[in-house]
Amino acid sequence: MNADADADALDYDALGLVAGLEIHQQLDTATKLFCACPTDRRDPEEATTQFTRYLHPTRSELGEIDDAAVEESRVNREFEYLAYDTTCLVEADEEPPGRLDEEALEVGMEIAALLDAAVVDQLHLMRKIVVDGSNTTGFQRSALLARDGEIETEYGTVGVEDLMLEEESAARIEETEAGVCYGLDRLGVPLVEIGTRPDISSPAEARAAAARIGMLLRSTGTVKRGLGTIRQDVNVSIAEGARVEVKGVQDLEGIEQIVRNEALRQDALVDIAETLRERNAGVSDPVDVNDVFAETDSGVIGRTLATGGEVLAVRLGGFHGLVGQEVQPDRRLGTEFADHAKRHGAGGIFHTDELPAYGVTEAEVVALCEAVDAGERDAVVLVADDPKTAKQAIEAVATRAETAIEGVPEETRGANDDGTTRYLRPLPGAARMYPETDVPPVAPDPSEVATPELLTDRADRYADELGLDTGLAEQVAFSPRMPLFESVVENGVDPTLAASTLESTLTELRRDDVAVGALTDTHLVESLELVDDGEVPREGLDDLLRMLAADPDLTAAAAVEAANLGGVTGEEVRKEVRTVVERNEAQVREEGMDAFSALMGECMGVLRGNADGDTVSQILREEIGRLSD
Amino acid sequence: MNPGDRVRVDHPDGHEEGTLMPSTTADHLVVKLAGGYNVGVARADADVEVVERAAREVDATEAPEEGAATSVEFDDDLPTVTLVSTGGTIASTVDYRTGAVTARFDAEDVLRAVPELAGRANYRGRVVANILSENMKPAVWQTLAETVYEEVAGGADGIVVMHGTDTMAHSATAMSLMLDVPVPIVFTGSQRSADRPSSDNVMNAVCAVEAATADHAETLVCMHAGLSDDSCALHRGTRVRKNHTSRRDAFETVGARPLGSVNYETGAVTFRRDHTPRGDDDPAVHPALETDVALFKFAPGTGVEALNRLAGHAGVVIEGTGLGHVSTELIPRVEELVESGTVVAMTSQCLEGRVCDRVYDTGRDLLDAGVVEAGDTLPSAAYVKLMWVLANADDPRTAMQRDLANELQARSVPWT
Ligand SMILES: [Zn+2]
Repeated sequence: MNADADADALDYDALGLVAGLEIHQQLDTATKLFCACPTDRRDPEEATTQFTRYLHPTRSELGEIDDAAVEESRVNREFEYLAYDTTCLVEADEEPPGRLDEEALEVGMEIAALLDAAVVDQLHLMRKIVVDGSNTTGFQRSALLARDGEIETEYGTVGVEDLMLEEESAARIEETEAGVCYGLDRLGVPLVEIGTRPDISSPAEARAAAARIGMLLRSTGTVKRGLGTIRQDVNVSIAEGARVEVKGVQDLEGIEQIVRNEALRQDALVDIAETLRERNAGVSDPVDVNDVFAETDSGVIGRTLATGGEVLAVRLGGFHGLVGQEVQPDRRLGTEFADHAKRHGAGGIFHTDELPAYGVTEAEVVALCEAVDAGERDAVVLVADDPKTAKQAIEAVATRAETAIEGVPEETRGANDDGTTRYLRPLPGAARMYPETDVPPVAPDPSEVATPELLTDRADRYADELGLDTGLAEQVAFSPRMPLFESVVENGVDPTLAASTLESTLTELRRDDVAVGALTDTHLVESLELVDDGEVPREGLDDLLRMLAADPDLTAAAAVEAANLGGVTGEEVRKEVRTVVERNEAQVREEGMDAFSALMGECMGVLRGNADGDTVSQILREEIGRLSD
Repeated sequence: MNPGDRVRVDHPDGHEEGTLMPSTTADHLVVKLAGGYNVGVARADADVEVVERAAREVDATEAPEEGAATSVEFDDDLPTVTLVSTGGTIASTVDYRTGAVTARFDAEDVLRAVPELAGRANYRGRVVANILSENMKPAVWQTLAETVYEEVAGGADGIVVMHGTDTMAHSATAMSLMLDVPVPIVFTGSQRSADRPSSDNVMNAVCAVEAATADHAETLVCMHAGLSDDSCALHRGTRVRKNHTSRRDAFETVGARPLGSVNYETGAVTFRRDHTPRGDDDPAVHPALETDVALFKFAPGTGVEALNRLAGHAGVVIEGTGLGHVSTELIPRVEELVESGTVVAMTSQCLEGRVCDRVYDTGRDLLDAGVVEAGDTLPSAAYVKLMWVLANADDPRTAMQRDLANELQARSVPWT
């Protein structure tokens, strides 16, 4: 089929689309999963210590080494870690982990309740081997907390296979010359991983299931919000395809797109495989074709040969026209070959379906085909790089090409921003886990855990009981400021005032470039209470918040005084002062400014502290001056 | 039903199918599920059915036989290093029965576990013991010394002792005293267990082999110099102390900077101070020990009855306060102890600095009571030394006040 066709025209039932989700959500607990450090993110510039490590993969519990781990470790890399005053020796792998964080376990059990999943009798911490450096230990600690749950969406029921409680990995900061630099701030933040059963049969259903799970998670009130705090992976296969795990889908919309494009990709690969088998396709051994390009005008190839590199080529018998065939929007089978070549350090590949181009001439293409004995029905793929990289890359391409004849390979892929995917690594196997002997098993007690109120139910309640209009009710119920809203309403502040301030007013101020982020919960609570008590007119709230955002050291009361936003306006002050001065007209005419002290006391008494002293004094001086002139 | 069996477990919340694990207890069955996770199922409400017997091998490698010798291919151009294993975390794997980490590797396994050792030396393997270092005993020091002696006499160009870290310093002190060999003896181990990809065992073992093939004849401890995997520090066995429970760089030289270091990347061994060069003298071993020695740590409130329990010992090392003190009330008992024939040596719990009992009255009284000052000898080193001098020196009291193996520094120069 043609990848350019309207993707939504795909008949997912006919394709036999099966998808499952794996959702990773960071928990907003006070401390990390295995130490007493806070779960705060930090700026790399705030790092207090730096150190470097290597990782050496080990035999797993059952004496097997995982494919994915082996592939990772082929690149012997040095990892650099940044430590902060909010991280300790546990994150640095310099101290054994402490006991499992109780709050995280409790939130985990709340999530289990929301997913209708059964909590295990005994939790066993496992070590999941990860040798990309993102864990200082070389493994991620993870435990099966609950299984056999389900969620409802408008498309039907989706089974929840399992719920894992695990530690978040270190955040990748940058690639360094020797390897990768990671920050330890994120390492050890509690994380839940929810795996659904492959019950999803359309992109829209995948999106709906992810949205539902996201809402359930946020209903606990103890999950992190913001970029990177929730990550979605999708497993996709079609009937004639294979299980493909797509990592790191950014948002709900992305999920729909990824599922659609992956179904499309597998379908296209199945078609290609059929054609290849009809053509009796085969892959030859890679050979060097340096001589063909001895005089080349191609910049990449010329530079490679000039610097001691090699040009290696592989003949793909029967592949003509298929290497250039699109399998996802703007990604061809050749792009898949290139992914594998890049994985082994090559910059990319050339193939005859797109040549002559990039400085490679028609004559060179002819010579190339001759050199590898390629005919009209064949394709040739080239890699130009240093000898070692070129060899590994061309072999990876040959292996991937052989797989193309069979069909769709099982693999782990990464989500691209445009909704397509790229090859990452082989699927991880079960062998990568062994018991974490540093942490004893835990027997959780779910009987004490209450099921949190769903945010959707909460929104309904805000509308019914607090009289908010439904839009505002939903907005505040799903908002990160929901707990703040609850607490001010508890203290008697009018719900509509509180909700509209916390949602609409703050949003408007942000759009107006006010530094809303500088406002603390205390600022917001105090300000709302001042308005609610009638100390500040409702119209003054906007100015009050602007003022606090500009000068966050102020308290709300101090800001009101400073800006004279109080219940008594300047006009009212002048009116009261004028009354006092007129009452004492004789004294003022006689003593002039000497009457100030006596009258000041009287004015303040009349205004009962509702006005700023400096303001009163200034107005009083003006009024005395006016009369004594 | 045995570990390794494929089982189906029915329980009130559903059922699990997987491999029965050896960590199963009386209360919980532990099942490894298809995804690799282990899960504990309460036995009380569970119904177990064996689907397939011995479906998977879950037992670890058999423990090596003690005393078993192993060897690998020989390269004439390389020096020969004997790897002596005593157990400990550098050569260990998970014990499923206890869930703890125990030693169950021989020297050949170490080579398999640390492939980076290949090409740096020819290796011989000796297993002296297979114990955690907290279970180390003076009798094992004696076997270890005899083994090292045999290996050196048999042509080894250097010795690497794989040792648990807890009592590594004690064993290194014992070897410093018992052995007189013209080649390096290098102790190493790991602070983070070998069953994790981040273990320090690889770098420590590689650096120890480099140190064992370098030009010196010192007895050293070779462990991480800092948090990073960049270099190992070389500490004299008699001056080293484990100063942290878990850090990679737990080992520190007390009273001086480390004697040298090994660069992990280049393998270069450098020394900061004078050291004994390699020689070609015949090796000698003096393994005799008087093990009837006690280490006594004084603290505020320690009563005379604590000292009474030491009566009859051949030797007592006191870890006193400050310059080397115990409370005035204990001094008459110390005197009785000395008079009864016990050699009593004074060290300081300050660790840094030397004892000096001439400064205060209490100290002078202790000297009058017959206590000998061990200078700046570390308490742990003095403990091992007293065992050795009681069995080997003509005058143990004098020997405790003299330097025998760099355990007692003549000058206090911590900046060197
Ligand atoms: Zn910590």
